[in-house]
Amino acid sequence: MRNKMLMALVTIGLAASSAHAGMPTEDLASTCNACHGLNGVSVGPTMPSIGGLPEAYLKNVMQQWKSGERYSATMGRHFKGYSDAEISALATHFSKLPWVPVVQKADAKVIAQGKEASDRCETCHGATGSEPDDAETPKINGQWADYMHLEMLKYRTESLKMPHKKMRNNSKKLDAADVEAVAKFFAAQPK
Amino acid sequence: MSLNRRDFIKTVGATSVIVPLSACAAPSGARSAGGKARIVVIGGGFGGATAAKYFKVVDPSLDVTLVERQQTYTSCPLSNELLSGHGKIEDLQSGYDGLKKRGVNVVFDEAVSIDPAKKTVKLKGGKTLNYDYMVLSPGVDFNYAGVEGYTEALANTTHPHAWKAGPQTLALKKQLEGMKDGQTFVISVPPGPFRCPPGPYERASQVASYFKSHGMMKSKVLIADANDSFSKKGLFEQAWKRHYPGMIEWVAGAAGGKVVKFDAKSNTASSDFNDFKGDVVNIIPPHHAGIIAKSTGLTNDKGWCTVDMLTMESTVHKDIYVVGDSTVHGELPVYGAPKSAHMAATQAKVAVGAIVAKINGVAAPEPFFVNTCYSVAEKDWGFSVVHIYRKKDGKLVYITDAGGISPVNMDDEVQLVLQRKLESEYVHGWFKNIMADAFA
Repeated sequence: MRNKMLMALVTIGLAASSAHAGMPTEDLASTCNACHGLNGVSVGPTMPSIGGLPEAYLKNVMQQWKSGERYSATMGRHFKGYSDAEISALATHFSKLPWVPVVQKADAKVIAQGKEASDRCETCHGATGSEPDDAETPKINGQWADYMHLEMLKYRTESLKMPHKKMRNNSKKLDAADVEAVAKFFAAQPK
Repeated sequence: MSLNRRDFIKTVGATSVIVPLSACAAPSGARSAGGKARIVVIGGGFGGATAAKYFKVVDPSLDVTLVERQQTYTSCPLSNELLSGHGKIEDLQSGYDGLKKRGVNVVFDEAVSIDPAKKTVKLKGGKTLNYDYMVLSPGVDFNYAGVEGYTEALANTTHPHAWKAGPQTLALKKQLEGMKDGQTFVISVPPGPFRCPPGPYERASQVASYFKSHGMMKSKVLIADANDSFSKKGLFEQAWKRHYPGMIEWVAGAAGGKVVKFDAKSNTASSDFNDFKGDVVNIIPPHHAGIIAKSTGLTNDKGWCTVDMLTMESTVHKDIYVVGDSTVHGELPVYGAPKSAHMAATQAKVAVGAIVAKINGVAAPEPFFVNTCYSVAEKDWGFSVVHIYRKKDGKLVYITDAGGISPVNMDDEVQLVLQRKLESEYVHGWFKNIMADAFA
């Protein structure tokens, strides 16, 4: 059940290279702030920062939640209420914001353990998580450790519907004892 | 930075022209003599604080005054968890320095009367404020007469309702900590609508969690309910069966659960059919919109404020926008939009958008309301309900394709345990962000 009028207006807005007609994207985006922080910089350890993540990644994830292709505890129930045009507009909006790493300190030993175990992450996310190798891969340097830990638990749960075979396989290959350390390693990286 | 500013200024038609606020001709009467609209926000909870902040986010030049009674705000969300010993009350509190830094004029005082014709607010301290636009977010007040024998004096001393987080929450916690194995904790739930629809059942869960973690397996929680169903019922009942078998009993209104009388001496809450005697009795009295809303004539015969669904402007008095728990808003089965922190915050953002648009003489932006409400039934066992409302055919509708409660059943046990764990963790991340979104 889509609101055709709204979609049309948003589309007009997008066609005019901004979303000023219909629902302004930033009004829509301001509803995201309650959980993801002002400008997409989260201050809650289990909620990810989303400002400055790649547009294609954001769009994919929201679409996958909407279609049910990607398991989520909560977000799927949100995105079933958004049109495709709104999802695209939100992805564009948040991708244009700066990525603000929230650098989290951790025990040096844990960080070293995480670094050691993070080899398999490096190919796609970059050595410190700041240089993804393509537009569909998120930055993870200074992302919240608790969030990344929980996200990896999702990828490691065999029966859950999670896309991205590479991410599933690599998450599962991590030793259980290393999962938290890897999350803490990337969370500690400023750039 | 005024990140939302340009998008709050809508252009008419398909061409997108960005009009800076300063260049907009103000409609006559929309601004004070000084050239800036004076905005007064009454009430510094989630609704009021979010509104005050977002006015400044959208346009830092706006003249925004927030009137709030208390220097420190204590969040109701997560306050049930304090009962079982999770967290400290300080973690649920915020002052108003963040809003002051954003340029909000914070006045610690109490609004005692509003004159909607003269557009003035009288404060207890003697001051009178003028406003062009008001956001009223007074929360709820209690109708103690709804339970004969229960009084505000009892609530403040021996029988806290703890339905406004703060000293009463700690008093109730202390009573719980004084209980012995085999004793009964009674919770009386008022007729809806009430603040935090799943709150009483979360409270029952947290009390049972306390019993369980203290080896008090013979103790019981009895919920005497004025209503015949409740929020997230399937999820709560599943949690109770799994974590607290036989420890929580729910008596529906139709089964004589509606408490109408309380005897403090014998600690007995009574319906027309049953007496519920407890060792601790927690009466949650019926409530209605905050007194100031009532005395300003903004409430309907049931005691709640009716608003334009798309802008939150009062249907009674122009230029007063009512947000948060004191409103009835949105079509939803039973009572309309839930009285939650998230709903109050999202309503506040809509009110800000509508007011700023009005100041600038343009149409109100299209509203979009989101609610996410988490409950924690036991450690690592959380769940939620999501609501999305949007405009359709000129009306605000609840989007049934989206939203809803967390899945009750899943394919396997591993999935179920992870789902509940994730949401029990997410609630804390949500909490930090929504507090910052309102107060920082």
